[in-house]
Amino acid sequence: MNRTLEHILPKVQKPARYTGGEYNAVVKDKRTVDTRFALCFPDTYEIGMSNLGCRILYGLMNEQEGLWCERCYAPWGDMEEEMRREGLLLYALESGDPISDFDIIGFSLGYEMAYTNVLNMLDLAGLPLRSADRPELTPLIVAGGTCCYNPEPLAPFVDFFVLGEGEEVTLEYIALYRQAKEECWSKEEFLREVAQIPGIYVPSLYEVTYHADGTVEAITPKDGAPATVTKRIVEDMDKSYFPVKTIIPSTEIVHDRVMLELFRGCIRGCRFCQAGYAYRPVRSRNPKLLAQYGKAACEDSGYQEMTLSSLSSTDYPCLMELCDELLDYCAPRDIGLSLPSLRADTFSMNLMERLQRVRKGGLTFAPEAGTQRLRDAINKNLKEEDLLQSCRTAFSGGWSGVKLYFMLGLPTETDEDVLGIADLARKVYQCWRECTPNRARGVRITVSTSWFVPKPHTAFQWDAQIPMEEYQRRVNLLRDALKRDRSITYNWHDPQTSYLEAIFSRGDRRLADVLETAWQNGAKFDSWSEYFDFQRWMDALKACGLSGDFYAHRVREKDEVFPWSVPSVGVSRQFLWHERELCYQSQTTPDCRTRCSGCGANKFLPGGVCNG
Amino acid sequence: MADRLLFSKTGRAKYISHLDLMRTFQRAFTRAGIEIKHTQGFHKHPFVSIALPLSVGYSSQCEILEFGLVGGATAEEVPARLTAAMPEGIIIHQCYPAERKLKELAFVNYIINFEYSEGRPQASEPAMQELLSRESLVMQKKSNKSKKGYTEVDLIPLIRGFNLECQSDTLTLDAVLCAQNPGLNPELIRAAFCQAYPEYAPDFVTFHRREVLDIDGNPFR
Repeated sequence: MNRTLEHILPKVQKPARYTGGEYNAVVKDKRTVDTRFALCFPDTYEIGMSNLGCRILYGLMNEQEGLWCERCYAPWGDMEEEMRREGLLLYALESGDPISDFDIIGFSLGYEMAYTNVLNMLDLAGLPLRSADRPELTPLIVAGGTCCYNPEPLAPFVDFFVLGEGEEVTLEYIALYRQAKEECWSKEEFLREVAQIPGIYVPSLYEVTYHADGTVEAITPKDGAPATVTKRIVEDMDKSYFPVKTIIPSTEIVHDRVMLELFRGCIRGCRFCQAGYAYRPVRSRNPKLLAQYGKAACEDSGYQEMTLSSLSSTDYPCLMELCDELLDYCAPRDIGLSLPSLRADTFSMNLMERLQRVRKGGLTFAPEAGTQRLRDAINKNLKEEDLLQSCRTAFSGGWSGVKLYFMLGLPTETDEDVLGIADLARKVYQCWRECTPNRARGVRITVSTSWFVPKPHTAFQWDAQIPMEEYQRRVNLLRDALKRDRSITYNWHDPQTSYLEAIFSRGDRRLADVLETAWQNGAKFDSWSEYFDFQRWMDALKACGLSGDFYAHRVREKDEVFPWSVPSVGVSRQFLWHERELCYQSQTTPDCRTRCSGCGANKFLPGGVCNG
Repeated sequence: MADRLLFSKTGRAKYISHLDLMRTFQRAFTRAGIEIKHTQGFHKHPFVSIALPLSVGYSSQCEILEFGLVGGATAEEVPARLTAAMPEGIIIHQCYPAERKLKELAFVNYIINFEYSEGRPQASEPAMQELLSRESLVMQKKSNKSKKGYTEVDLIPLIRGFNLECQSDTLTLDAVLCAQNPGLNPELIRAAFCQAYPEYAPDFVTFHRREVLDIDGNPFR
């Protein structure tokens, strides 16, 4: 281990995050390696290590000969301070080598509030932030993850973005990179070529012009770059890579368990949900294969916990069959099996009861809206009676707490909808009174609300986020309505980060200056209250002459050129507009299995048929 | 009857904390297919216990872990199988039935290296000699039990013996310290030295456990 690092580590909190050497970490002989990849996650080790996408890419890349993928996370403030003081450059955990010496540096972008960490990590690596200031071919800075469906605020910093699922395209662009390196291409030559690979968006090959009012006038591709870049998917989940052998951290991380990915996509079509649109079409894994993967992953990891993951596990067609098989394996070994993302229906509750024979975890439902009218408008096809029935089952079975998640500020929301949340919570309380076997124990009903952030590539991409004062008013309205209910706790999400998310999720590339200014003034770890400073962001917007409200609180015209017009998730704009119109009529759209609504994502599959 | 492991923890594994190490062992037993005793009760979990918790950042070649071997491997097979299931830096040397009580573990032999990147000051050695030869050396020690937040401890009676060795840029203290009831954390020796002789304060200090000993000074197993 590097001597400087050894001298630093005793001074920082949780040093095991910075050492590498975990079980299953891949160490290759550098003499056999021609391409080195630093897989970076712009947040702490504990969060980054929990990311399933990174586990997949890490395993997949390291299966390749001559390619070595290593990990790198954002050091916490105390570590950063020591690194800067000692002049220690940001290094990859496996080798301890500075990532600036690598061929490719790849960031996973899952949430906007991590953007400043990308800049900070580039700076800690000793690299210029802007792509234009890095004239050499190496290191290439690439990024993937759901934020890349509108990566514009990061456009000047990142050389290219990867849209969609990375299993295939990662190996394709690495192959091209190897050719480029061997044939001594310039960075420009490489970027022009890589833009021809489907799913790769090279921001420097697009010129953006603006109208006087600040909206985008046109996005013009150059050097043969495609006008639309459509995301990539894995067609057949049964043939796709599954990370049976994953790194088992030597210190605790957020999701410290086996993660079994049942399927990708979601049949529901909730109109606010970016994941619901962006991961289409639905593709399931075979239950036999899943059971096999799950068991093998438990044996390899020694984990005593397994979780089934997907956007809506109840919609997995063979859920019972899979759970039965997994339970036969897990129960005698005391391995806990957990199933988040369940719908609040009777089927799910029966399943929960079977799974949680031993440990009764918390019960969380996300009705999202307080009235049936608004739930219909956002196409959250959850009936009140289903939710209450689920609660009855849970309370009869001995659960004594339930969490309910809602959003405030959804399009078409009225005060009646806000107060409907309080009514619903009270009805849940009534269910408890009727069903609990033990009233003396009491009940804890938690209502949480967040401030709705309209996302690109959703039916609400045209809509405004309600103003902050209005959000606060609705919070107060609900708080007052719940004041006298002692068994109901009300939590609301701090509005400041939601405002910034609303700005950056639908922002254009002019916001890059805001990011850089905020970073220069100390912004990093903006999703952590320890570091977040709202005023710093307001100052940065002002310094750059931009208005946050323009991005967050403005209703867009039907035909406005969006900053995210080039990236495509495969769902047509017409379909999204139609969904928006249905919302304003409070009309629902049936799920994909009941009836195809013609969103356009079927074109990804052979024969154009989704079968999920 | 309990079983014991003798293992070392060096290199990158130095930074794994005590609690994380316990969890790592529990998982490693499962990975290696070694069945061990579980605690009884509502939430059953694999039983492992480490004799003397090691501070984060210290290395050791003589750690002792107690557990109960149920099956899946013979005692002879355990070291190799378990080492293969461990993170880098943890090596299992022996697996054997416990024959002595843990409270018979009386002393720990530490190798404490004082590093001077600009070269070791000549007078650092006599300074350390002087310090450790005092009649008494009282230091404040953090304590959760005391109202003041610290207690006072005299280091001298807890140091059974020591030996000093010098190189051009290091001063090595080879010391035998009381292990438990009460034990002495060698960090206090470093702190006392830096307090008494701030001009000879080293740039960096490493701590290594070389051996655990019984009351007669023989290796404890």
